[in-house]
Amino acid sequence: MSTGLVDNWLNVDTFGAIYPFVGTEGFLAIVGIALWIGWHIWQIKAESTEFQQDLDNIRKQGGPGAVLDEEVSRETKDVVGR
Amino acid sequence: MEDELASLVVIFTEFYYWITIPLMFLIHVGFCMYEVGASRYKYHTHTLMKNTMLIPLVTITFFFFGWWIYFAFVNGPWIIGPLVDAPHATPWSEMMGTHMGNAVQQDGLTVADHGWWSRINGVFWAAFLLFSWTAASIVSGSVIERIRPSAFWILAILIGSVTWIIDAAWGWSWNGWMVQKLGYHDAYASGVIHAIAGGFALGILMVLGPRIGKFTADGTPRNINPHNPWLVTIGLFLIYTGFWGFYVACNIPIIDVYGGLMLDVEGKSFFSATNIYLQPTTLSAITLNFLMSLSGGLLVAYMVSKGDPFWTYSGGLAGVIAASAGNDLYHPIQAMLLGGCGAFVAYKMHYWVENRFKIDDAVGAVAVHGYAGFFGVVVAGFMLWGYPSSPFEGYATISPWGQFIGAVIMFFVLGLIPAWIVAKILHGMGVLRIPREIELVGLDINHESQRSTDADEVAQAIRDEAG
Repeated sequence: MSTGLVDNWLNVDTFGAIYPFVGTEGFLAIVGIALWIGWHIWQIKAESTEFQQDLDNIRKQGGPGAVLDEEVSRETKDVVGR
Repeated sequence: MEDELASLVVIFTEFYYWITIPLMFLIHVGFCMYEVGASRYKYHTHTLMKNTMLIPLVTITFFFFGWWIYFAFVNGPWIIGPLVDAPHATPWSEMMGTHMGNAVQQDGLTVADHGWWSRINGVFWAAFLLFSWTAASIVSGSVIERIRPSAFWILAILIGSVTWIIDAAWGWSWNGWMVQKLGYHDAYASGVIHAIAGGFALGILMVLGPRIGKFTADGTPRNINPHNPWLVTIGLFLIYTGFWGFYVACNIPIIDVYGGLMLDVEGKSFFSATNIYLQPTTLSAITLNFLMSLSGGLLVAYMVSKGDPFWTYSGGLAGVIAASAGNDLYHPIQAMLLGGCGAFVAYKMHYWVENRFKIDDAVGAVAVHGYAGFFGVVVAGFMLWGYPSSPFEGYATISPWGQFIGAVIMFFVLGLIPAWIVAKILHGMGVLRIPREIELVGLDINHESQRSTDADEVAQAIRDEAG
């Protein structure tokens, strides 16, 4: 059993491609491109979910103005450093 | 490879390009630091991730189709000829993997192709790829704090793996149609990287709009200062450092100009480094001119900005960019003077466009890369007027009109217009800009809230422990 075309290194001058599974390059390209497009689809969905959660949180706190006021008051009180 | 000297030339060339790659990596490190320094603290995480994630996305797409475009599109296609076969550059080519250069396994590849491409393909691909990252990264800085990362990454792939590499095929290869027909000369990429990236950024900015608070109600611009100017300047220093690799990667290290692969002059040999057009040059020439154009840019930018660090550093970069088209041939003092002019053009144009058209370019990328690059391409037409654009017969000579048309193709045709169209489509789908409420409170609100909560919990735990 061998995954590649290399049987020994004594005839290296005759070798071409030496990675495993020579001949599957077309299939690998299809898999790679599918993963790339799939990543974008996943990322766009994840980003939309994240933004929706952010918007819900902002609205729950009373809108952007209230969030900014809270931030100022938090910094003034310096809760973390006290 | 059996011949020792021939092997040495091939393996030296392989090593030469490999060295340029980690050097150019520093450009990306610099851009990331620069952007994080320029953004406000509530946007840091997304700003950093936006630029970082273009690395894998542009890399894999450049593997899938970018590299093939470079060789296949030299004729347009269908401007002066058809698509060109590039069997070593397809993602399914054996030449895109570990290969010892023998045993032909695929149609369209000869044994001679194998000997060369089996050693050079990966490093040459990577050197071009790092240019791709740079093109996308230039755009990244100008759109910070309001573009959706998902939209930016689509646009990054468009410039990094499609439009810039089309312009390289056309105007930055020994047989590109712009070189043949226009005499286009752009040895160190004033146009093919910088003008296109600047134009591309401008195309997005026209659709994206300014950051909230950038302009007053009557349109007067406000300064949104960098959160950390020192990080910005270190970032720019790193970009300078990486630029050395960029310049060296634009050359071919050793070729017999009279040899059979080139002019084929019987009985003569002349070994030299060449630029991408296979015209002889030297590393000394580009070293002199790089430093002198950088210096010209720094001197003038310091003067016009009255010592502002951000613009002084950016002006150094604009200086190099403005001289890059002809830095293989200029005298160092010419490079210095042109560098100074480039910095002046970038600084003045940035503020004129900002005031006149209300364009919010957060880091001045359109000016430093776009306007200085455009200027650099055009001025090379005057400086190098009448020089042959190629060692090969039948090519147009370098001229002001050829360079002007070339600059328009770079900045507008392959830069601004495709970016504007795709940005318009993304805007129409409502996915170009982050929601207004999130922009108001800061894009990192989730991360920041979580960090805050974590810190509070830890602080409380310590207090409880203290009794």
